[in-house]
Amino acid sequence: MTNQKHQFDASPVLVEDMAPVLRLSLRVKPAHRASLGQALGLDLPTRVGARVAAGGTEALCLGPDEWLITAPEGTDLTTPARAVYADAPHSLVDISDREVTLRLSGPSVLDLLAACCPRDVAAIPVGSAARTVFDSATVVLWRDGPTDFRMDIWRSFAPHVRALLAQVQEEFVAGL
Amino acid sequence: MSRYRIPGKGRVDHSAPVSFTFDGKTYGGLRGDTVASALLAHGVHLMGRSFKYHRPRGAVTAGSEEPNALIGTSRGAGQFEPNTRATVQELRAGLVTESQNKWPNLSFDVGAVNDRAYMLFSAGFYYKTFMWPKSFWDKVYEPVIRGAAGLGKSPTEPDPDRYASRYLHTDVLIVGAGPAGIAAALAAAQSGADVTLVDENPEMGGSLLSDPAVQIDGKPAWDWVDAQLARLRAAGVRLMTRTTAIGYYHQNMVGLCQRLTDHLDNPPKGAPRERMWRVRAGQVVLAQGALEKPLVFDGNDRPGVMLAGAAQTYLHKYGVKVGDNPAIVTSHDSAWYAAFDLADNGARVAAIIDTRDVVRPDLLDGARKRGIEALTSHTVTTTRGRLRVKSVRVAPVRGTHVGTGRSIPCDCLLMSGGWTPSLHLFSHTKGSLAWDTTSQTFLPDRKTEECEIAGAGRGLWGYESVLADGAAAGLRALQGLGRAGHDASFTVANDRPGTGVSHTELPTDGNAGKARAFIDFQNDVTAKDIRLAVREGMRSIEHVKRYTTNGMATDQGKMSNINGLMIAADALGKAPPQVGLTTFRPPYTPTSFGAFCGYLRGDTFQLTRKTPIDPWAEANGAVFEPVAQWRRAWYFPKPGEDMHAAVLRECKATRASLGIFDASTLGKIEVAGPDAVEFMNRMYTNPWTKLQPGRCRYGLLLGEDGFIRDDGVIGRLSSDLFHVTTTTGGAARVLTMMEDYLQTEWPELDVWLTSTTEQWATVALNGPNALKMLKPLVEGVDWEDFPHMSCAECTVAGLPARLFRLSFTGEIGFEVNVPARHGLTLWTALMEAGKPYDICPYGTETMHVLRAEKGYIIVGQDTDGTVTPADAGLEWAIGKAKKDFVGKRSLSRPDIVAKGRKQLVGLLTEDGSLLQEGAQIVLDPNQPKPMKMVGHVTSSYQSTMGHPIAMAVIEGGFDKMGETVFVPMPDGVRKARITSTVFYDPSNERLKA
Repeated sequence: MTNQKHQFDASPVLVEDMAPVLRLSLRVKPAHRASLGQALGLDLPTRVGARVAAGGTEALCLGPDEWLITAPEGTDLTTPARAVYADAPHSLVDISDREVTLRLSGPSVLDLLAACCPRDVAAIPVGSAARTVFDSATVVLWRDGPTDFRMDIWRSFAPHVRALLAQVQEEFVAGL
Repeated sequence: MSRYRIPGKGRVDHSAPVSFTFDGKTYGGLRGDTVASALLAHGVHLMGRSFKYHRPRGAVTAGSEEPNALIGTSRGAGQFEPNTRATVQELRAGLVTESQNKWPNLSFDVGAVNDRAYMLFSAGFYYKTFMWPKSFWDKVYEPVIRGAAGLGKSPTEPDPDRYASRYLHTDVLIVGAGPAGIAAALAAAQSGADVTLVDENPEMGGSLLSDPAVQIDGKPAWDWVDAQLARLRAAGVRLMTRTTAIGYYHQNMVGLCQRLTDHLDNPPKGAPRERMWRVRAGQVVLAQGALEKPLVFDGNDRPGVMLAGAAQTYLHKYGVKVGDNPAIVTSHDSAWYAAFDLADNGARVAAIIDTRDVVRPDLLDGARKRGIEALTSHTVTTTRGRLRVKSVRVAPVRGTHVGTGRSIPCDCLLMSGGWTPSLHLFSHTKGSLAWDTTSQTFLPDRKTEECEIAGAGRGLWGYESVLADGAAAGLRALQGLGRAGHDASFTVANDRPGTGVSHTELPTDGNAGKARAFIDFQNDVTAKDIRLAVREGMRSIEHVKRYTTNGMATDQGKMSNINGLMIAADALGKAPPQVGLTTFRPPYTPTSFGAFCGYLRGDTFQLTRKTPIDPWAEANGAVFEPVAQWRRAWYFPKPGEDMHAAVLRECKATRASLGIFDASTLGKIEVAGPDAVEFMNRMYTNPWTKLQPGRCRYGLLLGEDGFIRDDGVIGRLSSDLFHVTTTTGGAARVLTMMEDYLQTEWPELDVWLTSTTEQWATVALNGPNALKMLKPLVEGVDWEDFPHMSCAECTVAGLPARLFRLSFTGEIGFEVNVPARHGLTLWTALMEAGKPYDICPYGTETMHVLRAEKGYIIVGQDTDGTVTPADAGLEWAIGKAKKDFVGKRSLSRPDIVAKGRKQLVGLLTEDGSLLQEGAQIVLDPNQPKPMKMVGHVTSSYQSTMGHPIAMAVIEGGFDKMGETVFVPMPDGVRKARITSTVFYDPSNERLKA
């Protein structure tokens, strides 16, 4: 009688902790976007939500003058950025420990996110990302595949988000 | 086999018996039954008692609009629910149900004495009766009224069920899966649009499930429904049953409540009982159909009197004859079909009584063929029977003259007063309604949202026109999305078109003043109550409603509003649209609190933030207190200690040697860029230009009004980098305020703000041994050049750190910031290294006491948004030479520089007792009340100095040093002396290493 677009299999969704990465918040005025990009070895995207990656470094545009940069731990991006500071003033702040990252994947991941995220998560294109909320926590949601997401959560908000995710996962197990 | 069940008939599963209990008696029903249909199959019509008169009542509908058949249902402890509609609750194995509002039992109820005294309980009864004497209200009237109020028993135990939530974004949401809704879905699902079709019933099909003889495109109705649902499923349309659209909100947001387990014998573990969907739809199609209106006549509420359409539904969907010998009274064609269907299934129809003079010949033919007596131009004047209708009195009507009546025996009476389009959701959008004179009903008019209304919901009747209208609405919705689609048409055989007329009360030859002709069954409102309300001066329909309570029951007047309006309009001598309609409000049907709460209960009721060091505090017996969204260690009691003892021990240990404190919740903002110092100068009152890198300063932040907003110690790490700290609760607010100024006032500045609150875990060390203990753990600090108010990037215990030398206690103090992941490691290392110094972990209470002893303020405790720097004794923190900063101009406003402002001072009680925070202060305790209050206590603690200390804001306090004030408290007036706020080490000797 009911035919919701739910696919229930043995593990409809996986929630995993991800290893820490280097995470930097870059703020720079549009005029100096290009030189910062050059220094970091990336063409910083200008559309909010767009991502680019080069080498191990990835940049996500979060606002007209705001980018989130990730790279493997130990990567030194501060020195090359500092080299252009005089001509391209900016702020590059280490926020590696501010957030923790969960990987959410599996066929029911869109339903999992839709439990507490008012945004149209299905409409986030694969390969882009969005800053949004999950219940009352601000999160950055990276869509790496059709059913593959990363969620950056401010550290102290993570237990609440995890507790909610666990409740929703139990719904999937119950099949309702 | 139940007496009234027709073998093999209906959509119930005759091979799947389900048993349940009603008022302790066990009944057998079938899978697919509702409680009402199963009881009716046993000939049980009596299902409840009415609210006011305790009149015996039976199911009058077969749907969610049911006003009478309200029951309590239960699955187990905490899972009792009152006021469930028996017409909606599906049978499940072991379901326990009970009737309501009766004592000692349903067939003999003492409260029914109210019914005999009905002349007393007229409209406005409460207003008239309980007016006098006034003193009776609190002690007599209100308790009595409250005792009698409320329908059903409130559950008393916590609800063990889970409730879920889900957001949904869909191109087209269609509400109602009857013929119009299905046709709309077929049209909308054409070009790949994402379509969602919802229906409150367990099965889709709407009225077609009660009209199986209808044929659409050559297929019997039920086959057609099955085929279309299969098509929709194949097209990827989301089909949701047992899902009620409860409210229609701004920008096409529709709330849906989906019932998931109430119909299941054994719900799976962890399954939510209900799920609230918040749907954002590109287009909404409302295809909710129409609700049948009762006719208004004396005795129209007796068990066995029900809507004709409901009888038809019980017959076709559930295979239940509601009686062997039904009589029909109607003003609409539709009831004739109900009569025919019942006759064709073995009922002996006593008569069809139609109020109209002229009835379609084919209907008269149909009656003749079946040997049914058809009485046109007739009225029903009353019914008889105690717990079940036994006969109906009918009389011919000519003009306004009612002729001689006669009694017709029957075992049920099926009525139809026509159909009211269901416009509840449309009205939630503030869409306007227009009165349609032909159909005597309100129809949707001006829309405010992207929505279409289709089918019987906009007054259409007959399947062919409803299907075509649904398809057209679906297509318009599709076009509204900028997509294209094709027209659709349907050919319908055995269609059941119909029209009718609308009535106020039916004409009667009896005493109209004594007629118990009910309009609102649940609230026991009769036609004469409405007329009385109008006679007593109510003109607006809103006043009539409140005076009579018409439409104010849990069914929100789904059946009563239009009849009430017609009668009120008649009494007022106005046209119905001039009298107007009351406002429909969400939810459409009663909705559980659980569904609204969703996940926000228990541990996930509200977000609780915890620091990286919280696990240590928990393991070491901390008592916690909430601070903003955080939970913070309040104090660490040792066995046998109360809060006072623990805090005093923590305070003394810190003053004597060394204390350690988790300060991670402090807000932190990285202010970076070439213009950082300029920005700081503009935001904070203090001068920053001359602050050298490697040094800190106490910063004071004002609002534009000159009042203190926040404070904190700020370190300059390099010429263009500041590490700003804020209060725990102010972190987000301060960042937002700064960002606001930066973006709207000073976009030219090259400076950027980043919240680093959670990047760093912060541990504070305080005490005369703090430096000694810390020194060996630190690398990268030149201790020769690291006096009080210094900062450095270095390592502490091998961890990368930002080290601040500052004090919020008056002792030598440090704050060590390390990346959050290392917070617990740092804490453990410091605890270990502090052992030789008897290091003492302390909580927020000790922090408060120690800072109060030094007169350090807490923004939000000692300030309340009306305190200036001068009021708080913080004028030293203002950069007098600065051209401007946020709030500067306000500091010279006349009222800010006026004498007599409340100023922050210290208080010491004469008798050494503790004052209450928040206590008011007076200068003369013997003055008459109300006394002139000159201020209040902001902080008050037991201190390490052997006597309590307090801080207070007092008018002109700085000029009253040494004077005595009085603090009235519950147990007597305290005398207190005004002092400086610095109680401890006023010369700051202890800060110098």
